Amino acid sequence: MTLKNIKQLLWLAVAVVIIPFYPAAALAAPDARALLRDSESRHRTKTQQYSGDLTVVNKEGKVRKKGWNSYRQGYAGDSKNLIRFTDPPEVKGVGFLSLPRAGSDNPDQWLYLPSMKRERRIAPQDRDASFVGTDFNYEDMEEFDHEKYKVSLEGEETVEGHPCYVIKAIPLEKGSKSIYQKLTLYLRKDILYLVREDLYRKGESQPAKRLILSDIKNVEGHWIAARMEMTDLKKGSRTTVTLKQISFNRPQPASRFTLQNLTREGGD
Amino acid sequence: MRVFALLLFFLLVLPCAALAEGFSGYAELKGMAYSERSPGDPYAAGWGTVYGKWEERLAESQLTASLRAEWLTSPQTSPLVFDPADRKLRRPPLSIPELWLRVPLASSHDLELGRFQLGWGKTDGYSPADAFLPRDLTDPFADEKLPLWGVRASGQEENLRYQAVLVPVTTPWRIPPLGSRNAPIASGALPHGTVLREADDAPPLPGFAALRLLATHGDWDLGVWARTGVRPAPILRFTADPALQDGPVPVVTVTRRYPREHAAGVEVSRVAGPYVLRGELAALFSGDAELGDAVIATLSLERGFGDGTLLVTLAGNAIDPPVDPTLLFDRGTLPALIVAWNRTEEWGAWKAVWDCGLERGDGILKGEVAYNVTDTWKVTVGGDLPYGSRQGALGALHDARRLVAAVRRSW
Repeated sequence: MTLKNIKQLLWLAVAVVIIPFYPAAALAAPDARALLRDSESRHRTKTQQYSGDLTVVNKEGKVRKKGWNSYRQGYAGDSKNLIRFTDPPEVKGVGFLSLPRAGSDNPDQWLYLPSMKRERRIAPQDRDASFVGTDFNYEDMEEFDHEKYKVSLEGEETVEGHPCYVIKAIPLEKGSKSIYQKLTLYLRKDILYLVREDLYRKGESQPAKRLILSDIKNVEGHWIAARMEMTDLKKGSRTTVTLKQISFNRPQPASRFTLQNLTREGGD
Repeated sequence: MRVFALLLFFLLVLPCAALAEGFSGYAELKGMAYSERSPGDPYAAGWGTVYGKWEERLAESQLTASLRAEWLTSPQTSPLVFDPADRKLRRPPLSIPELWLRVPLASSHDLELGRFQLGWGKTDGYSPADAFLPRDLTDPFADEKLPLWGVRASGQEENLRYQAVLVPVTTPWRIPPLGSRNAPIASGALPHGTVLREADDAPPLPGFAALRLLATHGDWDLGVWARTGVRPAPILRFTADPALQDGPVPVVTVTRRYPREHAAGVEVSRVAGPYVLRGELAALFSGDAELGDAVIATLSLERGFGDGTLLVTLAGNAIDPPVDPTLLFDRGTLPALIVAWNRTEEWGAWKAVWDCGLERGDGILKGEVAYNVTDTWKVTVGGDLPYGSRQGALGALHDARRLVAAVRRSW
């Protein structure tokens, strides 16, 4: 037996040992990035509109509620948004318009206040700040963009009876202004829909907050969580967002996402 | 979701009037306690308001109407008279803040007819484009806009917008009774104890016409405007009729006149990182010897801090007016520095305002805390503290130092 033959035998032995495991490993560990990319692709819609309620329950059990109508055209970074508040009376009629801007991470944003009778352009807010006493902060409100995170598949778990992929997402260091050091995402395996998110603040080993997306239903062929609840695990308070009268891919008039429409009192 | 959060932030920071289809409104009871008792003004005053608003869609059109009923103890509400255009000296017990119909001319072009409020200008705190519009200073710390009877055409094509307004009837500024603690007029010009008798003279009929063009380009928002017509802020005329001087103190009759004024201005604002910078420049021309011309510039900076906003505005007039500027009302406080800071908390909101006259060193410190009992019940407490020289428009309100408490129920 020559040296060449010995090497061939060794490679064959290695192959015999490794090959049976390799396909199984590949099937059991899909790429986290591919999963998130697939998830985004599946749930992208041309337009979306709904009415919604926001309920804040503080640790003493005091409840505050607001209602609004939302219109969106496009998806994530290229979306146009118009929101008009309907309730309570103190904020009724206030409108918000957000338009994407080429070459910029920040969209152009305007606010219409009926008390001032004119629109105001507003600047991007601090991502670290909570808002109006709710359990969300501005970073929580941004649509999750997996490209800004280093992601890895951590395993699988069952959430509310649904098998889920568990994905760890760490904000990329380059230019990162995230207030979190880590997010743990729970992605339903059957529909690749986010159903839970644990948020770890920097320097903390336990999650500071937990977002639960529930009442997931199929509307006009699209999955959507009609209920989102953010709980501050330290304070014991929670904020719930409920969506109603949801519809997708309805043509939106071109004039809806304009400053002229934003300043139309009594309009959409 | 982010836009939703940003909107919520502003919603709770800035209380706004209700608006949408259906019926809405509020009832409010406000009490004021003053640090001093000035002649004719008690230590305490009450203010009750019931406001209802009805909104209806008529196909693509929009009809809005509102009615306000008020009861004031000091200064007292005027007798119940028919004054739909709000041209009387005092605040009426019943008024129509809004009554307008909007008809779409095209998809992004509207025609609005009726009685409505108008808001122009870029700079918050003080705006030369907005300052000429009629105000109700019955409560000098509230600075409430008066609605107008008029026609407005507005529209948008791409990034260009326009507003054309025709207001056929003057709605004059409403100022508090002269000589009262709430009158924003410097004291000392007249002998101590002078009795001021205000004549309920009729303001002129003609109003004004105005055009505003706006454009958005990247971070920049640009605008130009022009207007011509009757200026709604009065020029006061003081006359001493010898026939009335029958007591130990002089009696002075006060009448009002309303000169014509023409104005043009530019508006600029831009987003710069977390800041919004705004600026305005306006040239105002008048042939009136007492009003004179003006070149008013404003610069403001706004920044959001979490659930709050800090706003700093600097405003000034490059031309000294020919009369005491406090008599010109809309530009009486200039030059001025205005700093406003507000925040929303889990329980409600608070704000602090410092309005500082830069020429005479007078100013007003204002603080307010609002507690949201429920979504529809709100309790507010606060105070207004004018200080400094009484020769300034702000220091002249020294006797109006007060604590305020209010409870509001909305529906």
